[in-house]
Amino acid sequence: MALNLPDENERPEDRSPLLEVEDLHVEFRTRAGTAEAVNGVSFTVDRGETLAVMGESGSGKSVTAQAVMGILDMPPGAITGGSIRFCGRDLLGMSAEERRRVRGEGVSIIFQDALSALNPLFPVGWQIAEMFRVHRGASRSEANKRAVELMDRVHIPDARRRAGDYPHQFSGGMRQRIMIAMAIALDPGVLIADEPTTALDVTVQAQIMELLAELQEELGMALILITHDLGVVADVADRVAVMYGGRVVEYADVFDAYRRPAHPYTKGLLESIPRLDQVGSDLQAIGGTPPSLMDMPLGCAFHPRCHYRRETCVTTPPPMYTVGPERASACHFYQEVLDDHGDR
Amino acid sequence: MGRYALRRLLQAVPVVVGTTLLIYWMMWALPGDPFAGRCGERACPQDYIEAMNAQFMLDQPLLVQYSAYMANLVQFDFGVTYNMVPVSTLIAQALPVTLRLALIALAVEAVVGIVAGVIAGLRRNGYFDTLVFVSTLVALSVPIFVIARFAQWGLGVNLGWISPTVSNEATWAELLVPGAVIATTTTAVLARLARTTIAENLRADYVRTAIAKGLPRSRVIGVHVLRNSLIPLITLLGLDLGSLMVGAVVTEGIFNINGLGGLVYNHILRLDSTVVVPVATLFVLIYIFANLVVDLFYGVLDPRIRYE
Ligand SMILES: Nc1ncnc2c1ncn2[C@@H]1O[C@H](COP(=O)(O)OP(=O)(O)O)[C@@H](O)[C@H]1O
Ligand code: SF4
Ligand SMILES: [Mg+2]
Repeated sequence: MALNLPDENERPEDRSPLLEVEDLHVEFRTRAGTAEAVNGVSFTVDRGETLAVMGESGSGKSVTAQAVMGILDMPPGAITGGSIRFCGRDLLGMSAEERRRVRGEGVSIIFQDALSALNPLFPVGWQIAEMFRVHRGASRSEANKRAVELMDRVHIPDARRRAGDYPHQFSGGMRQRIMIAMAIALDPGVLIADEPTTALDVTVQAQIMELLAELQEELGMALILITHDLGVVADVADRVAVMYGGRVVEYADVFDAYRRPAHPYTKGLLESIPRLDQVGSDLQAIGGTPPSLMDMPLGCAFHPRCHYRRETCVTTPPPMYTVGPERASACHFYQEVLDDHGDR
Repeated sequence: MGRYALRRLLQAVPVVVGTTLLIYWMMWALPGDPFAGRCGERACPQDYIEAMNAQFMLDQPLLVQYSAYMANLVQFDFGVTYNMVPVSTLIAQALPVTLRLALIALAVEAVVGIVAGVIAGLRRNGYFDTLVFVSTLVALSVPIFVIARFAQWGLGVNLGWISPTVSNEATWAELLVPGAVIATTTTAVLARLARTTIAENLRADYVRTAIAKGLPRSRVIGVHVLRNSLIPLITLLGLDLGSLMVGAVVTEGIFNINGLGGLVYNHILRLDSTVVVPVATLFVLIYIFANLVVDLFYGVLDPRIRYE
């Protein structure tokens, strides 16, 4: 029942990246109009890597994650272009049944609000065990045993006894641990964490991030971490994709992006916090408002808020310029932005 | 949970006392003399009327009558009617019929209402959904006695599929159509409730999680969505059990069924409170009991509910 994950011994040049998203387009067609929530997003992640996805709320982070998981609300949502490949297989082209098997086995997700994401009427152990029963055909007792092991593994105290408790009987942090246990149950290649700590207390946030980092190390999975927390990104991510108005506007190594951003929006984000290693800071402090997805500005979507703006920005949308190896920016004047940070 | 149930049952005592007193008083306040017209063409002899009044304590003040009556009632002594028939015999004959009718109605509501509502909720704005919408609209806007008359005339007189009236045995088969008629309103309400509940739950976060877990759609809906949608539906059904007993009164009259409804109706006409008060008390008790069962069942269905 295992998926064709790449063989560890295979030579690196023979294998495609674990997850490749290319030029993804997602629309929502509602009565109020068509919202282009995702507008040509591309990224790749491999085993053991962490990709951070940053951006203001409404920039299309969750929709991208949902498209990768295959859990978009369709309708009103629709994938109108691009491809998503997992282990070289096109997820968008496969049958519903094949796609279902990739969920949980190949790619998993955890959400911001674990309380509403868990079914209120079933014990948490049962909800974890369901993974083994459905995907592996495990017996009830075998599945329950594995569920308790997983709860132990995500450091839930007294796991055996607590497996029979219901979601509302746990604290927020413990609930998120249960979500994590469920998501890693089948040892997936990719774990998507969509703002996993936003709803939690600061101290608990740190513990959950620690757990995710620890599990990633042990299991060697790829982690896509959607977060507002710039401190966390600096700590755990290898690469960062900064999203604005449904596009990735900067794609870079975390170290490069933080030291010398190549896009005015990334620069704005970094300047909105006094210190990079500060935990729990938010991304809201850039002047102006996010663009309306129903009525995107012509040219560069960021131009109404951009200090680097020129004539070209208003008329011509910037392509994804290659800034360096594995580095790209959607800004006509990325060189200027880079140069402003040359002395750092 | 046991203590909660006990407390709820004790709370029922003042309710029962209050309602019985009210009913007793209303019967007492009805104009007319229950014994005056009982002797055919002639007026009844004055000493017969006086003797009857004395036997049933009708010459006493209301509260004295009521206390004596209730004292007997709590000892399960229901007394006799003004015709000297034991009230307990009458109730024992009529209760099973009405219960049968209510159970049939409940089954129709549960099966037809929930199935139709769930399918409509899963395929919203589809052909079946529209069908459910229109038929529930009709069911909700036409009064029960019209539907009852229509069923009696259409199925009974015209097509001859059923007997227009129900025999004294009131078998399950005979009660099927009358039961379905009583069920119409609640079936329609239940179908609509099921539709909205299913549609709402389909959008819930935990359903998204269930899909993300890679569960087959049948399991996402059959286990996760359905289990969460069941709570309001069971609540409605349970609460309806009480109203079904009372609602049977109208339908029993039309189909000539000898249930509790007919029993009460006939005795109200005769100004005979001996049957009316215990049957009304029974209705109240069943209502309270159904409510309690729903409340306790709610705790079984939803672990978030606590009883203190
Ligand atoms: N279910 C939906 N129906 C309609 N529009 C949606 C839906 N989900 C998301 N969108 C649109 O997509 C945009 C991006 O949403 P999202 O990806 O959730 O942003 P975020 O980056 O904060 O996660 C939203 O502003 C909204 O307009
Ligand atoms: S393209 Fe122009 S408006 Fe857009 S970010 Fe670059 S400088 Fe600013
Ligand atoms: Mg989001």
